[in-house]
Amino acid sequence: MTDAAAQSSTQVAAQAEDDGFYHESALNAAWTGSRLAIGGLTFLFGCFVFAYFYLRSLNSSRRWHGSGYVHPSVWIGTTIMLLAVISAGVQYFGLERIKAGHKAIWQVDAVIAMALGLAAVGLQVYQLADLPFPPGSSGYSSVFAGFYPVFLTIQLAALLWLEILLARSRFIPAMSFVEQPPTVPGTFTVQRFQASLSAFSTVWNYLALVAVLFWLLFYAL
Amino acid sequence: MAIEIQPERAQPAGRGPGIAAAKRRWRPRPGVPAGLIGAVAGYFLGHWLGNLLGGGYDRSSLADTNDVAIVLGYAFGVLGWLAGLGVFNDLFLMMAGKPAREEPRLLGTQEPGLAKYFRYTLDHKVVGIQYLYGMIAYFLTGGLFAMAIRSELLSPSYHLIGPNQYLMVVGEHGTMMMMMMSSVILGPFGQYFGPLLIGSKRVAFPRLEALGFWLTVPAYVILLSAVLMGGFSTGWTGYEPLATQSTQGEDAYFFAFGLMGISMILAGFNMIVTVINYRAPGMRWSRLPMFVWSMFTVSFLQVLSVPVLVGACYMALEDRTFQTAFFTNQLGGSSFLYEDLFWFFGHPEVYILALPGFGVISEIIAVFCRKPLFGYKVSVAGMLGVGTASFFVWQHHLFDSGINPDMRPLFMLTTEIISIPTGFIFLVAMGTFWKAKIRFSIPMLFALAFYFNFLLGGISGVFLSDVPADTTEHGSFFVMAHFHYTIMGGLIFAFFAGIYYWLPKMTGIKLNERLGKIHFWTMFIFFNSTFLPLFGLGMLGMPRRVFEYARNLETLNDWVSISAFCLGVSILIFVINFVMSMTFWREPEVGNPWRTRSLEWQLPAPPPPDNFRRVPVILAGSYDYGVPDALPVADFNPPPGVIGTAYASASGRAEG
Repeated sequence: MTDAAAQSSTQVAAQAEDDGFYHESALNAAWTGSRLAIGGLTFLFGCFVFAYFYLRSLNSSRRWHGSGYVHPSVWIGTTIMLLAVISAGVQYFGLERIKAGHKAIWQVDAVIAMALGLAAVGLQVYQLADLPFPPGSSGYSSVFAGFYPVFLTIQLAALLWLEILLARSRFIPAMSFVEQPPTVPGTFTVQRFQASLSAFSTVWNYLALVAVLFWLLFYAL
Repeated sequence: MAIEIQPERAQPAGRGPGIAAAKRRWRPRPGVPAGLIGAVAGYFLGHWLGNLLGGGYDRSSLADTNDVAIVLGYAFGVLGWLAGLGVFNDLFLMMAGKPAREEPRLLGTQEPGLAKYFRYTLDHKVVGIQYLYGMIAYFLTGGLFAMAIRSELLSPSYHLIGPNQYLMVVGEHGTMMMMMMSSVILGPFGQYFGPLLIGSKRVAFPRLEALGFWLTVPAYVILLSAVLMGGFSTGWTGYEPLATQSTQGEDAYFFAFGLMGISMILAGFNMIVTVINYRAPGMRWSRLPMFVWSMFTVSFLQVLSVPVLVGACYMALEDRTFQTAFFTNQLGGSSFLYEDLFWFFGHPEVYILALPGFGVISEIIAVFCRKPLFGYKVSVAGMLGVGTASFFVWQHHLFDSGINPDMRPLFMLTTEIISIPTGFIFLVAMGTFWKAKIRFSIPMLFALAFYFNFLLGGISGVFLSDVPADTTEHGSFFVMAHFHYTIMGGLIFAFFAGIYYWLPKMTGIKLNERLGKIHFWTMFIFFNSTFLPLFGLGMLGMPRRVFEYARNLETLNDWVSISAFCLGVSILIFVINFVMSMTFWREPEVGNPWRTRSLEWQLPAPPPPDNFRRVPVILAGSYDYGVPDALPVADFNPPPGVIGTAYASASGRAEG
């Protein structure tokens, strides 16, 4: 690296311009990346939706449900879905608060959202470990036992993202969310955090919607 | 496995990279050796866990183990491999609230020597080189399987490899070529040149990009490991219900394909976000090089279609391990479900393979015709049209597999329609060739051969899209000739064109021209000599994936086999040229040998660590060859304030 002290003021200004350019690009990349991830995930979940309707309409060997079928617990399924939805709601509320400059409130909300999310994942693992049917007993049981491990893995990955945001927020002064930090690196740090948090919220809300959709498929239809 | 975080990476931001470098510890440094240790340890851990969980499940007489153990062994092996490479180090740092490491190259430093090529690096140019060597290795492996196939087919009956081994070899060859070669251009050239061509110092997600490459290695090893378990009898498509009935080699197939799918998604994801957000000021969509357009289109195909493949592979593995019944008709599943999911990915996959070839070739023809690319916008429309239409044709693979007959005309129509945007791209090429003073350098020769080969492959594809023709030729060597003309005649010729064109830029060394021309002419002649007769063999009724054939087809088959061996020799000539030129002859090429206008060629060879000293401002398109008063393509040292104004105005728009 060229010694900054030896650079002329023009070069320093040019470097700052370049840094600003890529900072702006990174902020936009968070937005684009989250939407693109939602697109890719939609196709991944879409193949389970396709499998659901394909096997259900085909009902091969009359085994969409099969004889002696026992439905998985609606109470557990509904609780899991509600936990995911409430978690997204709490996190969204926290996002609005941090946008208004209240870091501490967001941190509390994020911890609650994470706890709710982990509870949803834990409960889902419990349900999968104690299914009232063998996974291969019918079309329904296959789609059920196939979809939820994928979904909870993605939920866990998203919660890891939230944990990173929480950890990072500890090193950003609360004041930085109220007024612009005095240094450029400080400003960049806050803006990147905000962009990442915003992207996370979009993905987390999307996953809550997916939880509702599959609840409808598995428990309501 | 405990992996040391590299000292220079673990330190807080703001400290120089060399301060803590001397603090070596006894633990292995992240890299391939540590990755191998992690992979082996992970595999045995997963295998043990699988036996614990699924010990009561059926055991195979071949492997004396259950599928749960094998699949968990693969999964933990991959995790161990990645841990050993240091993939998770930054993640742990970030989980502790610390900033992830910055790319050293952006600070103007580059690690000397070869060691960086064996590490999980964040430098897109190093990743490109890693991909280049990886893809050549995967291609050669697939090619060796092809030689084995043609050796067996020298005789109409069994003489070298029996029916089961033949199926195994065919499956390995097909999967290696269709699966691993998906990234043959997006990997080396896309990752290396994508940022350079849009005037960027960075990619959006360098960790995902690097992870994309390092997943190809276990995918390759796992796919090959199927040989140890008797291979897989389904060929590259993994059709159900045969796959569920198959031995443990099928686990390797599904796991490897799924893993490669994730790699493709990551590579495509990074490419799209980079192209959208990291273009230099002035790099408008209308100035985007055709190669970048092709990468952009293909990346969308990858991000949207490959998740469906990953889902299908996952379902198949679930059927084989945790005893679900997605694809078992008697238990409420359906084997057609797999076919639909597979081909929803599988047909875009054809264009994932073909479109990058068109991108490379479109770059090359303008340079060697010394003319502006004819109909730039038409070509872009063609690429986007092919990409979009590729999602609506997959059912033509099921014309003979029980599709509702009423659906056949629709998918016949959509398949024929896709030839229209493909025709756009050909039209652009013909318009560019028209009255051009063509320089017949090696890249251009490969480009011209690409159009010739792809034309034959494309026309035979239109023919096959008709239901009556498809019904007659389905499952025959005619189909095989068709897709080899498009994939090998298209993609692989474009890959070699790209190597001869861009290698001097990547390495500062050029390949021997005489050997290059010998390579081209032998490859072109023997490629056609190998695959053209296959149309005839197919018309005469020779089926695919069968190790024996009617005796009256022996002469033609012998001709094909001998041609295939000669084709293998031509590839060997390339390998010799590549190894000798890169290792011993090392003829430097640091300038702009092709007198190209595009951005990457305005940089030294190889490009500096941070690509551009400053963010360039793009002034003109890169195809203005022979245009009087054409502006230089970019200002590489823009006056102060220009870049700031560019992103400030963009930021203002976003906020507004």
